[in-house]
Amino acid sequence: MKDRLEKFVQDHREEFDVFEPRTELWQQICQDLPQKSPEKEAKVIKFSFGDRASFSADYFFMRVAAAIVLLLGCGLTIFLMKQQTPESAYTLASSESITTEVPEVGAIAPELPEIEAYYVSQIEEKKSELSEYDMKVLGLDEQQIIDKELARLDSSYTVLKKQLYTSPNTEEIVNAMVQNLGIRVRVLNRQLEVLQRLQKINKETNLKQQTNDTSNV
Amino acid sequence: MEKLSYQDVNQGVVQRCISGDHRAQYELYKLYSKAMFNVSMRITNDYTEAEDVLQEAFVSAFKNLHSYKAEASFGSWLKKIVINAAINAVRKRRSELVPMDERAVADVADEVNEDESEWQVEQVRRAIQKLPDGYRVVLSLYLLEGYDHAEIGEVLGISESTSKSQYSRARKKLLEIMKEPQFVA
Repeated sequence: MKDRLEKFVQDHREEFDVFEPRTELWQQICQDLPQKSPEKEAKVIKFSFGDRASFSADYFFMRVAAAIVLLLGCGLTIFLMKQQTPESAYTLASSESITTEVPEVGAIAPELPEIEAYYVSQIEEKKSELSEYDMKVLGLDEQQIIDKELARLDSSYTVLKKQLYTSPNTEEIVNAMVQNLGIRVRVLNRQLEVLQRLQKINKETNLKQQTNDTSNV
Repeated sequence: MEKLSYQDVNQGVVQRCISGDHRAQYELYKLYSKAMFNVSMRITNDYTEAEDVLQEAFVSAFKNLHSYKAEASFGSWLKKIVINAAINAVRKRRSELVPMDERAVADVADEVNEDESEWQVEQVRRAIQKLPDGYRVVLSLYLLEGYDHAEIGEVLGISESTSKSQYSRARKKLLEIMKEPQFVA
């Protein structure tokens, strides 16, 4: 015994199902399902037909495409990094030495580069002369003390050079720098003199000994 | 009650689903998603919520497929999962579904003359959507999902007689709604 409403609904049962879920919903469901057999999934592409094939293929291709994009991205990043690092290093170094230092020094104290070059060549010359003497043979350990002194002078020189850019009293600083360089040359000169004298004495004693030896014989 | 129509087709597919075959799972989904979505839609009366329910139900069905014993058709097994998930969703949304039998009886007029005018499916369907949650669920389960009052009582956690009275009130309310001017075809 059915009433009219029940009969009506039953007669039109199919027509009551009017809604459809979005097609993307299956993908969402898939993500929540455990992925059991990836090999089987790969095979699906080859053997299935119709909707399923295109769906599986899409899914598979999306993964492959994502992997390729990722790899390309990594490769490109590394490539660009390798290309850029030396380039930027060069530009940095050159910009520092060319654009900031030299013109500024030239602008602040135009005579300084010339003086610097002169003293540096002097210092190098003395140093090479000094290195010709063999300290141990001459019985001198003083070289270490001189090296320390030169290093101290060098560090105070760099401090002065930095101050040159910031301090308004450029003349005083340039004088100090020149003095610094002068002291270095003098230190080296004195060391040279000492060494020369020592060598002379050594030679004389050697000669005396030799003459003594020969006279003894 | 629409049942048992797919049973033979499904056995093999169900077996493949249990072994984790995504193709078989998609086959079942294609076969049932629309019907199940409409079940979910009638209970939740909300598109997004109905989709969430459908997703949850399918995921849980595929995960628990090994416990499906083929006593009933796969469709009715799945439908039970969907209905339970949908009812839970509605319960979460509003607590008023729980004490359904305490609903005031007076809000529906006793006498509704079932007029002679022809019904349209769309008209009835929209009128069902306008029913309050408690009425809509019972009426949908009974009229459209083919559940009897004992089954409805079971899924809703109410007695069979409550389901019966709830249904007759819902039915009256539905006929009332259909007489409203915008529902007259």
